[in-house]
Amino acid sequence: MTTQPIVQLQNISKTIGGKQLIQQLNIDLYPGQITGFLGPNGAGKTTTIRMMTGLMHPTEGNVIIDGLSLKENYEEAISKVGVIVENPEMYKFMSGYKNLLHFARMHKNVTKERIEEVVKQVGLEKRIHEKVSTYSLGMRQRLGLAQALLHRPKFLILDEPTNGLDPAGIREFRMYLRKIAAEDGVSVFVSSHLLSEIELMCDRVAVIQNGKLIDIRDINVETSSFYYIEATPNNKAAELLQKLDYNFVSENNGYVVEIKKEDIPKLISQFVNEGIQLFAVQPHQKTLEDQFLEMTGGGQIAEANSK
Amino acid sequence: MLKLIQNEWMKLWHKKGTWAMVALVILFIIGPGIMMKYYETKTTEDTTWQETEKQAINDYKEIMKSDDLAAEDKTLYEEKIAISEYRLANDLPSQKDGSVASFMSFTGGMLTLVTLFTVIVAASIVSSEFSTGTIKMLLTRPVSRAKVLTSKLLTTFIFGLFLFVVNVVVSALVGLILFGATTGVELEMVSGQVVEKAVWNDLAYHYLLSGGDFVMSILFAFLVGSVFRSSSLAIGLTMFLSFTGGMIVMFLSRYDIVKYIWLTHSDLTQYENGHFIVGGMTMPFSLTILAIYALIFLVISYMSFMKRDVTA
Repeated sequence: MTTQPIVQLQNISKTIGGKQLIQQLNIDLYPGQITGFLGPNGAGKTTTIRMMTGLMHPTEGNVIIDGLSLKENYEEAISKVGVIVENPEMYKFMSGYKNLLHFARMHKNVTKERIEEVVKQVGLEKRIHEKVSTYSLGMRQRLGLAQALLHRPKFLILDEPTNGLDPAGIREFRMYLRKIAAEDGVSVFVSSHLLSEIELMCDRVAVIQNGKLIDIRDINVETSSFYYIEATPNNKAAELLQKLDYNFVSENNGYVVEIKKEDIPKLISQFVNEGIQLFAVQPHQKTLEDQFLEMTGGGQIAEANSK
Repeated sequence: MLKLIQNEWMKLWHKKGTWAMVALVILFIIGPGIMMKYYETKTTEDTTWQETEKQAINDYKEIMKSDDLAAEDKTLYEEKIAISEYRLANDLPSQKDGSVASFMSFTGGMLTLVTLFTVIVAASIVSSEFSTGTIKMLLTRPVSRAKVLTSKLLTTFIFGLFLFVVNVVVSALVGLILFGATTGVELEMVSGQVVEKAVWNDLAYHYLLSGGDFVMSILFAFLVGSVFRSSSLAIGLTMFLSFTGGMIVMFLSRYDIVKYIWLTHSDLTQYENGHFIVGGMTMPFSLTILAIYALIFLVISYMSFMKRDVTA
């Protein structure tokens, strides 16, 4: 990566009451990239996000945002960050517009025109002057996104952002994130439990378990290639694959075989020679879900590490 | 900072409770005012004020003839007789039952209500942000936590002053409408001399002295509210102390330490009526103690708010 990271977590650790919730976390986030943040319940996602937003103070380590330490230059560093932590809690007794006005006043240079613009972007024009208590969860999410975008942040932290959005809303939201990442070079950090959503939305995923970063990788880049092969009779196909020394596992009516692309025609002709009927040969991608479960080994709630 | 206070002010007035408080403050002035007016018109008699004064003098003399009268009571009646005679001699009618001034010194007692309501605001202005989770939204802004807390504290005081002004203005208006501006002359004995009472000065002094309890209660509620992040605890504890404060002080009065507790001093109206819970205090000493405690309350509030993790 040639560009400078906009956000750096440097050796972040957090200990509460003798329990080490986060251990020596190092993550770099780059402009224009959407990074997914995954982990089983209790892995420390929310704690990490709270430390990145200054709500919690790390026991050790530093959060650097655009070259500024969150600890030493809090006001300036945080002014580049837009945040939704868990549910976007708004002042329910005020209208959506008043809520945005409230937050706009806490930033420099957020004009009334900007508020209107953001409201339009999230599609809330019709209801913005109604009290937030009358909003549905999806509308609150939209309002939450609006307040996070008000000050044109360079870095967006979103915790479960699509929670409560309808399918159209999710799609719109995804498109929008992609757009601001690509056009404005905003770096986005999204935590979500919806793996399929992360898969569609993100360029990279960071996976954490038991407070430790266990993997950070680009999505859709497979180190080895897999193909799904469906053939009859089944046992003969298996015998042949075994004889040819391929790694494979059975799945549905066929097999997932680890094989290079250039070897495929050869394999097909061998099947034909053996008189095995071939129904399908298609590239097989492990879903993020498979990868996630593989990495985290199931998904039990992580036990906090006692010191 | 101005914008932050503007924010807090906006949030405050979007809560129905705030309007209810203002309404109650006004009601508790108008209600008693109407009642007082009602009883006043009932008891008006046809006698002139000179006859009433003469009657009073005779009554007092009658009482003083009895032997088992305490020395204090004796001087009290002597003073009353002296004042009545002074009125007759100098043709100074006494105050009628109601006047703006007397009504306002009555509603001065209602300042407790102002303090109570401001305590509620002080207790909840920080803790409510935690209980609704909005604190996350508030503290992830390019505004330091110290500024956020300061804006909340200032807003609380501005609200308190606002309620105070409402109390004074509404009292004055209701007093004027119901009783009119014509006041008689209030007399009192000062070191053996009959002098005219400075009604307005006394009233202003009372308002000023009420400020002691007002400020200390607010700071205490604000402290508990921001440290424990629970408004009910803060309101409860502050109310508990204001009710039992006198008892606690009495209980501790045997020990020297009682002089160094803010509860002994927070009710500054002691200096007005001369009923001290603990003897041997002076105004500068009380003010010093209160200032020290105010500072301690503030330091703990700020430390706790700025240092602690937000997990709401």
